[in-house]
Amino acid sequence: MSYGSHRVLDGLSIAVPAGSITALLGGNGAGKSTTLSLLLGFVRPNDGRVTVCGVDPGVEPDHARGRTAYLPENVALYDHLTAVENASYLLALSGNRPSRAAILDAFAAAGLQERAWDARLSGFSKGMRQKVAIAVAWLREVPVLLLDEPTSGLDPQATADFNALLHAIRVRNTAVLMVTHDLLSAVDVADRIGFLERGRIVEEVAATGTERFDIRALRARFGERARAA
Amino acid sequence: MSAMTLIARDELRLMRRNHVAVTAVLLLLLLTVVAVATAWTHQQGIAETRARHQRAANAAFEAQPDRHPHRVVHYGHFIFRPLSPLAAFDPGVDPFTGNTMFLEGHRQNTSNFGDVLQSSLLVRFGQLTPAFVLQAAVPLLLIFLGYGAVARETERGTLRPLLLQGAAAWSIVLGKLAALGLVAGVVGVPAMIGFALIAGQPGASIGPIALIIIAYGAYLALWSVAITLVSTLVRRRRDALLALLAIWAVTVVLLPRVAPDVAGQIYPLANRLQTDVAIARDLRWLGDSHNPDDPHFARFKADVLRRYGVTRVEDLPVNYKGLLAIEGEAITSRLFDRYARESYAAHAAQNRMVLGFGLLSPTIALRQVSMASAGTDFGGHQRFLEQAERYRYDLVQRLNQLQADQVSYADDTAVDAGADRRKRIGADHWQRMPVFTFTPPTPATLVAAGLQGLAIIAGWLVAATLMLTAATRRLGAK
Ligand SMILES: Nc1ncnc2c1ncn2[C@@H]1O[C@H](COP(=O)(O)OP(=O)(O)OP(=O)(O)O)[C@@H](O)[C@H]1O
Ligand SMILES: [Mg+2]
Repeated sequence: MSYGSHRVLDGLSIAVPAGSITALLGGNGAGKSTTLSLLLGFVRPNDGRVTVCGVDPGVEPDHARGRTAYLPENVALYDHLTAVENASYLLALSGNRPSRAAILDAFAAAGLQERAWDARLSGFSKGMRQKVAIAVAWLREVPVLLLDEPTSGLDPQATADFNALLHAIRVRNTAVLMVTHDLLSAVDVADRIGFLERGRIVEEVAATGTERFDIRALRARFGERARAA
Repeated sequence: MSAMTLIARDELRLMRRNHVAVTAVLLLLLLTVVAVATAWTHQQGIAETRARHQRAANAAFEAQPDRHPHRVVHYGHFIFRPLSPLAAFDPGVDPFTGNTMFLEGHRQNTSNFGDVLQSSLLVRFGQLTPAFVLQAAVPLLLIFLGYGAVARETERGTLRPLLLQGAAAWSIVLGKLAALGLVAGVVGVPAMIGFALIAGQPGASIGPIALIIIAYGAYLALWSVAITLVSTLVRRRRDALLALLAIWAVTVVLLPRVAPDVAGQIYPLANRLQTDVAIARDLRWLGDSHNPDDPHFARFKADVLRRYGVTRVEDLPVNYKGLLAIEGEAITSRLFDRYARESYAAHAAQNRMVLGFGLLSPTIALRQVSMASAGTDFGGHQRFLEQAERYRYDLVQRLNQLQADQVSYADDTAVDAGADRRKRIGADHWQRMPVFTFTPPTPATLVAAGLQGLAIIAGWLVAATLMLTAATRRLGAK
């Protein structure tokens, strides 16, 4: 995949099975967001294949998008609406009709303070908006969840809430792909971590045992790669 | 609920929460009420004044004492142009053309060629009529309410989430358009209700009323589509607002102001002085009935004498002076008619050219439909002038005929002390003269006059819709 003559992804191969969380790690400009754009059908590969729930999002974007929840890098919501209104409007557009109680439950699970539920978004911080968006993604109940730097802007408590929510989503047999340059957050939630570099996955590790990842080793390796890149 | 409905409802919710927008809508509604009320009372006032003056003029004409018929020809008669039933909605050229005429013998009313008509095309910007509110103020409000519809989503980055949420590009654009269209309806309906009240007048008929409603509906639909189109094409709200304000200024203010000036330059109307000089010159050339050597009247006299089989005018069974007056009036009227036709032709050319500008400015096309259907365009004024001239000619010739039949040639030429008394005929003759009644145009005439403008607006609407379709396709590819 390239933008003009600029090759961003080259020989990338990745599969995200249902009921698992895959983290894609890479430095700035490594092509993480571009990978998600491919999966959403916003850009098309020059060659190779992209499949979401059995269809090519470049050919049938509506089909793929209908089965995908996506949390963008920069969450854009409506300032003129309250948190609840944002959620019910966006969910109604995708054909969901959650009750107010369900929306409030999702907000609570995402760690959004109660006083913010019926407040307009114009006064919200980046983290608060992020929480609203996470709650919306959770309520979509779709088989695929794509997350672009979901924990940036979240405080430690909110990050913990988010991780818990993510596990609950995985239990629903959702395929989760999360791209980030935050090794720690990847380590906390992911079942597998892929390192993206020069447009391909240069290394892939899977969680094992109760310790899951050897953080120190990963940090040493990731730090090295980051320096080399 | 469909995505389109959801988006339309959200757009309306956004407008409702914008206090400036709500205030603007309320102010516009107020403006509409004021416009309808003032137009209505103003029109009632004018109609009543003109009717009263007409009655007074008729009474004065009929109250003339016994006198010589030719004195009645010069006493003359005033007639007033009655307002068309829809004039309160769109007064058109009425305020700029003469609406009263003095009818007398030997001259066609000067208002036919008057300087004042130079301005008949310049229906000035800014009269507070229901038509003006719909033509200029409502589009401006729609611009302020709608410029950000799609551009806001593009600029803030909410467009992509909207697409990802499963809303197709067309449902987003159509939803925004529907919301704006609804607002257009809300602000347009009071003006239309006002229009209906005005149209409820006796004499108004369904055809022109329907045409006006269709044309204004299409015009506001066109603005809604155009606003959504610009909002879809540009990436920033500010750019959308600037572009739309520029379009408004050019099509609603500038072109309607400039088009008549251009038309007036290209098809100039003769001014009053030029016309009078030309007519005087032509009259001299036509002949002088008082000059016994004039070739035309010498021939006329010979013809008359031959027809009655006599050799002297004194032996004619009718008053030769009356016959001369009839012939003189026929000749001068033919001349005046020719000048009037030239003037009408120049006006028609100007108006065709102005309508041509409608290809650039739908507002011009709309004004044409509006004035034509209301019967207040130049065509409506011309109808009045033509009927007035027919009436004048008929009246003058009836009086000339009275002179020929009722006054003897001997009395008419006598100069003795009692002659003046003998020349008079009874006042009952004036009372028996027909009264001027304006025959209004048929509904079909009014509708036919407005169809061209409607066609232009419809063409614009189709073009804008096609462009919006293309822009929507591009939006979906983002
Ligand atoms: N729309 C675009 N047009 C041209 N080049 C682009 C475009 N989007 C991204 N790129 C380029 O592609 C490369 C990868 O960009 P991408 O946004 O995928 O990186 P990223 O891994 O998400 O980085 P970050 O951590 O900063 O979010 C960058 O070099 C960027 O300059
Ligand atoms: Mg990125």
